[in-house]
Amino acid sequence: MRLVSERLTVDDYEEAIELFYRNHWTDGLPIVLPTPRRVEAMLAHVGRDPQESLGPVPPKGGAATLEKLAINAVMGGCLPEHFPVVLAAMDAMMDPAHNLNGVLQTTHMCVSLVIVNGPIGRRLGFNSRDGVFGNGYRANAAVGRAVRLALWNLGGAFPWDTDKSTLSHPGEYAFCIAEEEEDTPWAPLATERGCPAGADAVTVFACEGPHSVFCYGTPEEMLHVLTDSLCALGNNNVHVLGQTLVTLNPLNAEEFAKRGWTKDDVRRYLWEHARRSAAEVRACGVVHEQFRRMERDAGRYPRRYDIDNPTTRLPITPSPDDIHIVVAGGRSYFAAVLPGWGGFGGFAVTREVAPWKS
Amino acid sequence: MEILSPVWPAAVAARPAKQRPSSLAGASIALVDDNLDVPFTTRLETLLTERLGARVRRLVKPSGTAPSPASLIDDAARSDVAVVGIGL
Repeated sequence: MRLVSERLTVDDYEEAIELFYRNHWTDGLPIVLPTPRRVEAMLAHVGRDPQESLGPVPPKGGAATLEKLAINAVMGGCLPEHFPVVLAAMDAMMDPAHNLNGVLQTTHMCVSLVIVNGPIGRRLGFNSRDGVFGNGYRANAAVGRAVRLALWNLGGAFPWDTDKSTLSHPGEYAFCIAEEEEDTPWAPLATERGCPAGADAVTVFACEGPHSVFCYGTPEEMLHVLTDSLCALGNNNVHVLGQTLVTLNPLNAEEFAKRGWTKDDVRRYLWEHARRSAAEVRACGVVHEQFRRMERDAGRYPRRYDIDNPTTRLPITPSPDDIHIVVAGGRSYFAAVLPGWGGFGGFAVTREVAPWKS
Repeated sequence: MEILSPVWPAAVAARPAKQRPSSLAGASIALVDDNLDVPFTTRLETLLTERLGARVRRLVKPSGTAPSPASLIDDAARSDVAVVGIGL
């Protein structure tokens, strides 16, 4: 196998780890050493040309060749069978609709979340249940971190340089979940977004960290608290539309389904009710005003909303379809909302994993 | 022990950086308006012009969250100094 990356010779493990820190080749945590044997095993699993590239990673434009992605996947702790998921996620992030260049450098605190769908989630041990956004599962951690390390080493947006995120969030280290597909009454996200039922797929969406929503009871009670959480005035969505994500736990979904609510019913209700008056939104200040006009001028505010009328109830997304809903987590009291970056980008992009399987 | 580098060798800059001027007084300045904070950009343009006598050319970038088109970068590079955007 012909590999073109520079080969570095070190005496021992300790020296190698410090070499990665010294060169800023890691995100602040130690890495698994990318030995040629480990990298070749990763590449052999997908059976493609190591020099095939997914394109330049912004902002600095390092080519996302399979070889470089394999090196970073090893560093993140991936096994070869995780690598197709990493490739699908990177391919999704490089779609112009995601505006990765902006996501990686904005002052907003969004990070691209990786959502895994399909049987591959259970087969590779991705967590989709209790503690889904947290730690404890190799697949979530390794795939999540592999993607972040690839962006770090090939894109080169560093927090002391062009990554201008004001506060950022811990998902910069790893931000990957799987949707719960066994304990849910509804079709999973990837199927809703056009993938065949049962397909392995990855969706990326740039968003804040999960905001806890105490969400328990009847559909009406759950919708009451979800709508309020979705339209907090601090969210970019309230000011600049874009997309947002709701994570319902399996018990929430079951309670909705028992009363005949489909996922689309929930989505439409949230879109119709998670709103703020133009007067409330305008009270947030002049800087926000220009963004509303930008969205209106771009045709993303439905024309029937008069954004200059103080009584207008402004939606948080251009359409119900821009509210993404996944089912994940434990059967308990809590859901989560994860607001997006707004109309600037970070939009959801879905890719099947199949093209990357050998 | 042999390990592989996760990065590409550092790219060579497309063009050498211009010498930093000792003062902005009277300098030609390209002010890239990225549409992210128009009132701030307008205020900056006024201050640069009125206080420093700078010759400011305002170049409007189509999107505040995507890279500038190459033609705009070339245009900005003709000035002594460029303000390349307002972060938001």
